[in-house]
Amino acid sequence: MDVTDIKIDLKTMKQDVLRGISQCSERGLVHALKWLSELNFSLNHIKLLAEDIPLVHEDCGEESATFLLAKSYFNLKEYDRCAFFVRNCTTPKPRFLHFYARYLAIEKKKLDNMTDTNCPPDPTQNDEMKALCSELKNSYYEDQLDGFCSYVYGIVLKKLDLKSQALDVFVKVVQKEPVLWSAWYELGKLACDKYNNILSQVPDHWMKYFFLAHTNLEQLNNDEGLEIYQKFYDMGLKNNSYVMSQIALGYHNNRKLLEAIEMFKKILEFDPYRLDNLDIYSNLLYVLENKTELADLAHKVVNIDKYRVETCCVIGNYYSLRSDHAKAVLYFKRALKLNPQFLSAWTLMGHEYMEMKNINAAIQSYRYAIEINARDYRAWYGLGQTYEILKMPFYSLNYYKQAQMLKPNDSRMIIALGETYEKLDRTENALKCYYKACAVGDVEGSALIKLAKLYDKLNDVENATAVFTEYCLREDEKKEKIPEEQPEYYSALQYLANYYLRKGHLDDAYMYAYKCLECEQTKEQGKALLKAIASKRIEQDDMEPDNEVSMSATREEDTKNDSNNMDLTF
Amino acid sequence: MKISGKMTELIEKYRKLVQKYLDLRSYNTAMFWADRVVVLTDNSKDVFWLAHCMYMEKQYHRAAFLLKARNLEKKNILCTSLAAKCYFEALDLEQALQVINNSDFNTPLTEGNIPPDIELGFLEDTSKSHAISSFLLLKGRILAAMDNRSLAANYYKQALRYDVYCFEALDLLTRYQMLSSQEEYELLNSLPFAEQCSIEEVEIVKHLYEMRLKKFHTPMEPKIPNLFASTPDCIRSLPGSIISTPMSSSDKMQIDSCVAVILSKFQTSLDFKVSQAEILYYNGDYDNCLKLTETVLQKDPYHEGCLPIHIACLVEYKQSTKLFSLGHKLVNLYPNKAISWYAVGCYYYVINNNDSARGNLTKATSLDKLFGPAWLVYGHSFANEKEHDQAMAAYFKASQLMKGCHLPHLYIGIECGLTNNVWLAEKFFEQAQAIAPNDPFTLQERGLICFQKQEYEKAEQYFNIALEKIRKVKRGPLTPMWAPLLNNLGHVCRKLKKYDQALEYHNEALILNPQHPATVSAVAFVYSLMDKCDEALEWFHKALSLNRDDTFSRTMLNSLLERAADDLLPYSDSPNELPNFKQSQR
Repeated sequence: MDVTDIKIDLKTMKQDVLRGISQCSERGLVHALKWLSELNFSLNHIKLLAEDIPLVHEDCGEESATFLLAKSYFNLKEYDRCAFFVRNCTTPKPRFLHFYARYLAIEKKKLDNMTDTNCPPDPTQNDEMKALCSELKNSYYEDQLDGFCSYVYGIVLKKLDLKSQALDVFVKVVQKEPVLWSAWYELGKLACDKYNNILSQVPDHWMKYFFLAHTNLEQLNNDEGLEIYQKFYDMGLKNNSYVMSQIALGYHNNRKLLEAIEMFKKILEFDPYRLDNLDIYSNLLYVLENKTELADLAHKVVNIDKYRVETCCVIGNYYSLRSDHAKAVLYFKRALKLNPQFLSAWTLMGHEYMEMKNINAAIQSYRYAIEINARDYRAWYGLGQTYEILKMPFYSLNYYKQAQMLKPNDSRMIIALGETYEKLDRTENALKCYYKACAVGDVEGSALIKLAKLYDKLNDVENATAVFTEYCLREDEKKEKIPEEQPEYYSALQYLANYYLRKGHLDDAYMYAYKCLECEQTKEQGKALLKAIASKRIEQDDMEPDNEVSMSATREEDTKNDSNNMDLTF
Repeated sequence: MKISGKMTELIEKYRKLVQKYLDLRSYNTAMFWADRVVVLTDNSKDVFWLAHCMYMEKQYHRAAFLLKARNLEKKNILCTSLAAKCYFEALDLEQALQVINNSDFNTPLTEGNIPPDIELGFLEDTSKSHAISSFLLLKGRILAAMDNRSLAANYYKQALRYDVYCFEALDLLTRYQMLSSQEEYELLNSLPFAEQCSIEEVEIVKHLYEMRLKKFHTPMEPKIPNLFASTPDCIRSLPGSIISTPMSSSDKMQIDSCVAVILSKFQTSLDFKVSQAEILYYNGDYDNCLKLTETVLQKDPYHEGCLPIHIACLVEYKQSTKLFSLGHKLVNLYPNKAISWYAVGCYYYVINNNDSARGNLTKATSLDKLFGPAWLVYGHSFANEKEHDQAMAAYFKASQLMKGCHLPHLYIGIECGLTNNVWLAEKFFEQAQAIAPNDPFTLQERGLICFQKQEYEKAEQYFNIALEKIRKVKRGPLTPMWAPLLNNLGHVCRKLKKYDQALEYHNEALILNPQHPATVSAVAFVYSLMDKCDEALEWFHKALSLNRDDTFSRTMLNSLLERAADDLLPYSDSPNELPNFKQSQR
């Protein structure tokens, strides 16, 4: 889709937003309400005529007293009580409240029961949710659910891991209630592999563009997402902290760390008490090892709200940067007690456990992370690492594969994959991996030598030579050289010297063999090579006209070099 | 003359007093005056009333002796009934039966003839057939108490034929599952309603009786589709099918509308609701069933017909706290009723305390020998502990008690299947099916046995028939109760290599019962057979996250991972051949 096609009439947008705000606030959909209100706030410069301001009349008739009673209980988080009073209501608003309160009651109880144990609740113990689901299913089948009630059905389905059903329901919801941001949001989370199919079904509403942008970011199509957000930004949604933080997120995903930090600073200037997404900000500072700013951020967020997931993650990152891993784990745990669905805390906790060599705990953490979002490549990668430590290469292979699939152009994943293949003696596959790693730009610089060795192992002399040469060229470019720390480099030199000696390119052979003398370990062999070159020179000078003999001589040396090759592979 | 006139006056007055005090339940007073009357008149009618007063005062043997001393129990059918009833209440069954057998009416009645000389002077407005009916009913009850159930059933049936209003006979027949469903319908259709009721009554009585018949042998739809759409009390629709009798259309219309009004009144009765709750229960709609039974029990906390269904629902939902308080309440109030101890037994069954459960259930069955549900739960408690033989023994007992019920046979068959006695299991399922040919559960179990015998096509057939029967009554989504059936279909399809279909069934089962570890691992297995390695891996992972001790999934996962490592494509866009390295241009 072309970004220039996006045309939004800000007036209709504002009208829709106002209508949505009134609907959501009546129903206690707080997150959607916040989102819409932020949007409305950034549309403050659009003035509506008095008659254009939409009036929402959702009368509950005789049930309005019951509704108000139930709503007051709902606001006090007495969900069961709320659900009880509206249990027999038939008008849409109280009916929605009934289902939603029941859902929240179940979730709240689950969370409360977690305070004693430290793991998420047992997924097989959710009969209440199943009962709610089958009740909603029957109503849905009879087409007695309005958009908002269907939304509850959708989230219940999602909770029960019935993703494709949930997807269909959310599509229906956004068709009926296009301003319900929560439904779009869930849709984006679920839509991974059927993304294009979904796009054709959702209504052509301005909300669709927000959905598109959000989903693009979610799927790591960062550039497309960023483009749309930029468009929003240009269109006049200047002070929208949601749009701004999404842009920051896009930068973060694109590894444009500095731009992302810049954006976060802007957000904090405009909205200093906003905690959403600040865990990402702390991740950025962590990666840049900016201890002071991270400490500053940690102090600020603690002052705002100690018991927020984002706060706990920021502090956890801070301790992790100070290598105080036990404390970091403590804070990530706290975050997860507050919200067991908070993805990045699980992943980060897994990393901390890895640092502490607590492999089983790390595996658990990564697994929960993946359960929440199967697209978290860091968790997959972490899982691969843990199983590598446990010496279960088949498992780690699978997890690295998943990670690689999600981040196809990240050399770390693909090298890890290659190493595992090597461990399993699948040399060809390992070679392909290293090849790809070189092709996508090798961050750590270890792919080339690995590739060369594998070519060598498969007796593909030409390719091996080419790669070794490339490797040596790159190493030469590096300035500082400590010979003792680069055995790889010198063995590469040795290989090349041998190769050229065999080929009879004595000058090249001489150059490489000479370089071998720089290092203690290869010194002796270098000397031997030089000797061989010298004697070959004499031979060549003597027997130049006779080709046959030289052929046989090469063959002889072939066998000799083979034994040398064997040495090289160690 | 004057004295005798005065005396008759006095006697009349005292007779009236007796009736009055009986009505006011002052039996002792009534007895005193009845005795005076007897002294004055020595009339057998007054003796009868005196005996009646004694019966009400629970002085059973005295009453019986009184009647016997005057030989009334032989000659008068009402006195026979009273005397026998007295012995029956005193638990002196032999004597009771003897009284009945020795009376003059017994022989003709057993031969099916109406004895000509029945004296009914003692009770005004009591017809011959009523008296005979109650006589036969009593005989049936005595025989049933003496464990002669088939004969008893016969007498109940006769009692009903003599008097179609004799509900107790029908109740006893249905409550103790004495007849199979087909026999029940035959009985209902053979009853001489037309002779004994008025035209509009025929339909009403018939309808009321129909409600009492068996409901679990075949899936059916509750009569009120929108039971909870608004308030549960308001009933909108009426049963459509009412048997038409040939008459002029306008008359018919009039009567029909009158009947409809009356029937709709009856639909608000608790009994009707209970019968609807039963249907809901057997359809697996426990949620609505529980709601309905709760509304019934709110109005009538100890509704006898409702309690078993309510308890069954609570067991189904494993609501142990509710069962606990209900059991306590019932035992306190009705320690002599089987249902109270049954509730307690169910509580212990739900919390998996099988020993205590059995103790209480035994108590229930000792109070009411014919209480079948207790025997079934007794069997379940053994089955829970994998004590197959003992469970079977309990079910056998139940099967003897409940001749018209297929469930004991079904359970015995299941236990046989679990002990790998396929042949025997099949026999029992055949019996169960003979009693209830349309029961989807039986069909499913038959399918399972075929599966065990590796006759997959036959198994699929059975499962499909079962599914058809369920779908016939339930539009829309199935209840979670049927998830296992869909899973079984999935397994069979997998065995028959219809993998796509198998996946469909398993997915449908997952919709009914989400996050079920066995279903998830079945899906994974199908994927692995379809060589869809990635999906299979994903689903086995899911299965293991739901149930960590699933050795099957773990083994499969290991072997799949090893297989995946042999995949020639290490990543999605990898080349098939070894790539050639291109040196960068520098």
